[in-house]
Formats: sequence, C-alpha cells, structure tokens
Amino acid sequence: MQTQPVVSVKAVTKTYGKPNQKQFQALKGVTFDVQPGEFVGIMGASGSGKTTLLNILSTLDRPTSGTVAINGRAVTGLTGNALADFRAHQVGFIFQDFNLLENLTARENIALPLALQNMATKAQRDAVDRVAATLGIAEVLDHYPTELSGGQKQRVAAARALVQEPAILFGDEPTGALDSTSAKDLLDTMASLNREQGVAILLVTHDPFSASYAQRIMFIKDGQIGTELVHGTKSQEEFYQEILQTLGTFQQ
Amino acid sequence: MLRKLALGGIRSRFRDYAVLFSGLVIASAVFYMFLALATNTAFLKSNSFIALTSFVFYFGEVLLVIITVVYIVYANTFLMSMRQRDYAMFMMLGAKGRKIAQLIFIETVSVGLLATVVGTGVGIGLTTAAGNLLINMLHAPATHFNPVWGPAVLWTFVFFLGMFVLAAFVNAGKLLKTPVLQLLHADTTPNRLQQKRSVLVLQAIGAIVLLAIGYWAMTQLGTLQLMGIGLALVTIVMGTYLLFNASLVALIAWLKRRRFAARGLHNFTLSQLSFRIRDYTRILAVVAMLFALALGAITVGLGFQAEIPALVNQQAVYDVVTVAPNAATRRQVAKLTGVTATQHYQEKTDRHYVYLDASALARHPVQLMDYQNGKTVRVKVTAANWEKYADMAAQQLSTFRVPADADRQFKLVPAARFAQLAGPMRTVTTYQVADFGANYAPIKAIVAAQAKQHDIKSATQSGQKFYSYELVNGMFSGLAFMGFFLGIAFLAMLASTLMFKILSGASYDAKRYLMLQKIGVRPRLLRASVRQEIGALFLFPGLLGVVHVLFGLKMFTGLLRHPYGNLLVPFSIFIVLYVVYYLLTVWLYESIVIHRDVTA
Repeated sequence: MQTQPVVSVKAVTKTYGKPNQKQFQALKGVTFDVQPGEFVGIMGASGSGKTTLLNILSTLDRPTSGTVAINGRAVTGLTGNALADFRAHQVGFIFQDFNLLENLTARENIALPLALQNMATKAQRDAVDRVAATLGIAEVLDHYPTELSGGQKQRVAAARALVQEPAILFGDEPTGALDSTSAKDLLDTMASLNREQGVAILLVTHDPFSASYAQRIMFIKDGQIGTELVHGTKSQEEFYQEILQTLGTFQQ
Repeated sequence: MLRKLALGGIRSRFRDYAVLFSGLVIASAVFYMFLALATNTAFLKSNSFIALTSFVFYFGEVLLVIITVVYIVYANTFLMSMRQRDYAMFMMLGAKGRKIAQLIFIETVSVGLLATVVGTGVGIGLTTAAGNLLINMLHAPATHFNPVWGPAVLWTFVFFLGMFVLAAFVNAGKLLKTPVLQLLHADTTPNRLQQKRSVLVLQAIGAIVLLAIGYWAMTQLGTLQLMGIGLALVTIVMGTYLLFNASLVALIAWLKRRRFAARGLHNFTLSQLSFRIRDYTRILAVVAMLFALALGAITVGLGFQAEIPALVNQQAVYDVVTVAPNAATRRQVAKLTGVTATQHYQEKTDRHYVYLDASALARHPVQLMDYQNGKTVRVKVTAANWEKYADMAAQQLSTFRVPADADRQFKLVPAARFAQLAGPMRTVTTYQVADFGANYAPIKAIVAAQAKQHDIKSATQSGQKFYSYELVNGMFSGLAFMGFFLGIAFLAMLASTLMFKILSGASYDAKRYLMLQKIGVRPRLLRASVRQEIGALFLFPGLLGVVHVLFGLKMFTGLLRHPYGNLLVPFSIFIVLYVVYYLLTVWLYESIVIHRDVTA
C-alpha cells in the first residue's frame, strides 16, 4: 500500500470578493488527508463551505492560500492542458445534477474520457461494458440521459467518473436528486467499489444517511473543520445515530 | 404588472434578446432593401432593357418571403424556448391561460414591431449607402432609384407585423396545450436519429429528382418562360431541404458507426450536429439558398459589368483622343492612369484635306475596328492598305478631326510632301488605358475640354469612345447595379442567418462545453470541436450553393455573352468573404462557450 495520502489539503483558505470590496471568507484554513482506499465524508449545513472545498479539491476553483496535492502532485498551480489532463486521469466527479451531456447516449457519455485518449474502439466498448456491469446499467447504455431515471443518470455519471480508474472519486451530494431507493442503491454500489476495488472516495453531503457509508466523517462549519467521527467497528445503524447526535450538537 | 413581467423577461436575458433582435432587424432590413427595388416599377423599367426583370423580381420576392418565413419561425421558436420556462412558472403560480396568452402576445408583437421599425431604418440606411456606393462605382444613372420608398416601407411592415401576430397566436395556442411539466424540461430533449432507411432513401431520391427538374427548368427558360422560373424555385427549395435532411442524417449516422467517432471529441461534435438536426437542415437549406442567391447575384452583376468594356471595345480602339490639346486638356490627360499605349500623329490642314504623314503611320499604324465573318477585329492601317480602308477611316477617325474640318477629307502623304505643306500643324494623340471605368472621370473631363476647345456639339461630331461607353453603360449598369445590390442584401441575410443559428444555441451549448472542461477535456480539443461543428454549418450549404449558381447561370445565356466567362473573380471574392466570416463566427462562438479558466 502506498504511504503517501491520495489527497492532502494544507491550510487552505478561500476568500470571495476583491480586496476593496465586501469580502466573504468561505474557508478559513482547512487541513486534512485522505489515505488510499479510504471512504471519507464531509458534512456541513448549506453555507458551511463544503461545496467551495470540493471545488478546490477537484481543481474547479483555486484556493486563496494553502496547497492541495492529489496523489502527491500539487494541483493548485496547474493550468491549461496539464490541468485538463490531470482532471481526465486523476480525479473522477459525480455531481448532484449529474452533468451528463444530453446529446450523447449513456454509452457515449461513459466512453467520452476514453475517446479523448484515442483508445481503440473495442477497448472502449469493453471498458464501458465492464464498468456498466459493475454499476448495473448495462441495459440502459443506448438511452439518452433524458430517457433515464435520476438513479440511472447518477450511475451513468459514476461510470463515466470511474471508467478512467482515477486516484479518487469526488461526490458532490450525489444522492441529492435521487429517491431513497436509488440513493441507497448508489451508496451501496459506491461502498462496494470502495471495499472491493479500493477506490478512494470523498463524499460531500448534508445527508446523514449518505454520510453513514463513510469510514470517517469530517464536519465543516463556518469554513473550518470541527468534529471528526470514525466508523470503526460500529454497525452502520450505530454510526448513523452517532452522526445524528453530532449534527444535533454541532449545528448549535 | 403584466407589462412588467413581459419586459422583465427581456431584461433578464439581454444577450439572447440582442441576438434575436439583431437577427430580426437584419431580416427586415434585407426585406426592405429587396422591396425598395422590387416595388419600384419605374426604376425597374428604366434600368433594364429586359422585359423579364420585373417577373424575376416577383419570383425573387416569393423566394425571399419563404426564406424570411423560415427565419421568423426559427426566431420565434428561439423566443419561446427562452420564455417557456418562465411562462410555465407563471402558470404554476396560478396565472390564467388568458393572461399568459396576453403576455405572449405583448412580448412577441412588441419584439416584432420594434425589430421592424429599426430594421426598416437600417434598411433605408443600407439602401442609401449601398446604392450611392454602387452608383458611383458603376457610373450608373440608376434613374428613379429611391432609398426611401413608401411602398417598400408599407409592405415590410405589413409582412412582418402579420407574421408576428400570427406567431403570437401560434405561440399562445401551442404553449397552453403543452403540459406544464414538459415546458419546464423542454430544453434538453434529444432528437433521436431514428429515421427509417427507406424514408431516407426516398428523401434522397426525391431531392435529386427535384433538383434535376429545377436545374433543367433553368436551362429551358426560352420555352418555359415564367413557368420555368416558378418551377425552378419550388423544386430547388424543396430539393435543397430534402437533400440536406437525407444526406446529413445518413452521413452523421454513418460517421458515428466508424472508428472516426471513437476518437477524441468526434462523437461529441457529431452528436452536437445531430442533436437538433431538424433545425439544422431547415437552416442549412435557407443558408444554401441565400448563398446561391448572393453569389449568383454578384456573379451576374459582374457579368453585366464585364459586358460594358467588352461591348464598348468593339466600338472603338482608342479610349480617348486629343486634338491640339490646350492646357485644360493636358491637365486632365496627366490624370489618366494605367495608360498602355500613346501615339502622336502630326496633322496639317488646307481647304480640302486633313493631311497625315505616311511615314508616321508606317512607324505606328492607326488602328480601326473591322467587322469580319461575324467578329470584330482590329486592323492596322498604313499607307499600304490605306485605300482599302479609306471609307472606314473617314468614319472611325472622326476623333482625328474637329467640327471645323467637316468638309475636309483625310489624305495620306509621304513624309517629304508633308514637310513641304504650308498649312498649320497640330498634334493628334491617341490614348489606350487598361481600365476605362477607372479613368472615367479624367476621360469625361478630357472629352469636355476638347468639346469646349473645338466647339464640338454632339456625340457624332466627337466620335470619342466615351459616348459609346455612356450608351452601353446606361444599358448594362442598371442590371449590374441590381445584381450587386441584391448580392449585398442576400449576403447580409446569409451572415445574419448563420450568426443567428449559431449564437441562439450558444447558451445551451455553453453548459455542455463547461461539463466537458470539468471532466478534463483539453481546451485545444474543444476548440477543434467548435471549428468542426461550425465548419459543417458553413461547408455544406456553401457547396450546394455553388452548384446551384453553376446551374442557375444557365438562365443568363441569352442575356450575357459569356455567363461562365469570368467565374474566378466573383467566386474567389465570395469564398474569401465566407471564410473570413467563418473565422469570425468561430471566434465569437468560442468566446461564449469556452471558458478561459474553469474556476466555477
């Protein structure tokens, strides 16, 4: 097993607004690591800074100060092609609103990252079939996103994120737009991916149930990481209760 | 409150409305420009010796109406796509159908009315500018040409307002029938390429048959007369549409199955094209027709313009001739540009003769136009063949004489004899220039100065080429004027249509490009995808447009001596303009859909 953390965040701050305007500090010095194969949850109410943090981690936004390293590589200074390639190879995203291209079928959406590397057609097909089987969407590969249910869309998005075998999978409220059954299915799938294939996952959510799938949960409030909970050997039910209690006290 | 809601919609999506609005402004401006000529019968009659012209304009009007209707329908769909979510939301909040219908009516008609008012203004401006520019360039009298033409204003308003009132009713009817939920999610429905192969094959065959009939009709105008133009119009418009529909659907489907699609962003680009293939084929057909009209009009315009020097050059060899030039004449002579040949001849006169020095002619023979075997040729005349051409010389060399010499004959004498002659001596100078049109002003001034100096009272007395030029120019420049004028108008419409099509989808496309950037597509690849997608939009109609023009020029075989004589100039000018416009569009579109730095 690697010793270096897959995600390493050091003293990251983010301030919105220009110096001479009204400023708002969304992150006030966040530091944490995610180890390879770990399933980490980040929880917080809306406005706590969790989406800002995820945007910075996934290179969609830049921190005002501090550093972020993924797989040992500092990402804060990347630009242009290097940034694009980094996104393509090292990180996978699942967004709350899926971000599927509605002019491509599910198969084409999933194959897109592979096509970008000019992988052979057959290899693309095989890779898509493999990941689709894992996520249980083999039957809907030729449908367009509008012809899929929310749960299926999110699985397609997950398949697209995973088809490149990234170092880490980022999820931004991936169950936010799903019904409870689809949400549970998706979380089960993510958990098994994490367990069986060792995919590191970082999940940002405000939903305690989603968070209870993580091995470790960091609570973020007003731009800082407060409490941290570890799943350990507790059952999921016990962990869920613990989260609820923590939320109760933490939010006050 | 209602007005506030309707106008608030405009404020919140200013850029989209700006695209919509400018598109409609250009459409109505071009419509006005065309009508300013088409409804001005006095202008058409006095500027065209071809009886068919007003009918050609009549059919042009029909074609323009078809194109404008497609354009307005498209613009209207765009307007509704911007607003239907808002309307659906109002309905969810409990707005009654009547209220919504009223809102749609206010909005659609006010956008239309405003666009027509501004468009007519722009049309008048463009008509004035293009008209004056062309009149100066072509030295065309363009009698009765009037940039501010009442009937054109009237008909532009009637047509556009009628269309928008109609559109408002259709919009309201359609909107109130569609379920609210569907309205809320209307912008993301894909267009499955699910057409049956047999339908595509039928469409392709239909397209080819229709185009063949249309092309054939254009060659048979002699027998079919007006019917031919009408037939060509209908079949070519339909054929163009069907051809794009069948061939693009098939081409995209075929490419998607190839290895080509699995590389890079190709699949995305193809899907972008197929996503709204119905809109695309309709717009591509319109663009192809406009391309053909603009290119055709300019080519024919240039053809008529090229007729002018060709015809004038059959009338006389020398572009301008001076006799004993005074200071005023010499000043104008100095202004001639591109002089290819100048010859000086000495003349002496007595009571009966104008004497020319034979040795001077031996060195530099005078040139005359002779009509041999149905062709005009230039002959060089010296002492050797003087007798043969004496009559012709007397006629054609009237520029070598002045009215005072009316009773004197030309006589060629040897150098020694010429030297002994007593009478006064004067110099006749002949000038030939590369481009008569470019030297129009100085030549006109020289002719005037000579007329004043020698008391020349008529064109016959003068015999200068200038008068032939004026005559021929009067005949053809009106037609050339119409060609160029309509060429400019159609080109503006073409540009506006393409720009409108591309920019109206940009805000939806921007989302897709942002997603691609988020999942790690290199900016270079995105730009390549944009170039290819827009390139397809430019390329296919361009190709078909060129084919249309090549067949369409057949119609002018009777009017132009060489309709296919000089295609290189108009085609290359047009293609250069088209490529520049393509690059501009790509640049504009990229600046909208591709974020320089994804930080959000």
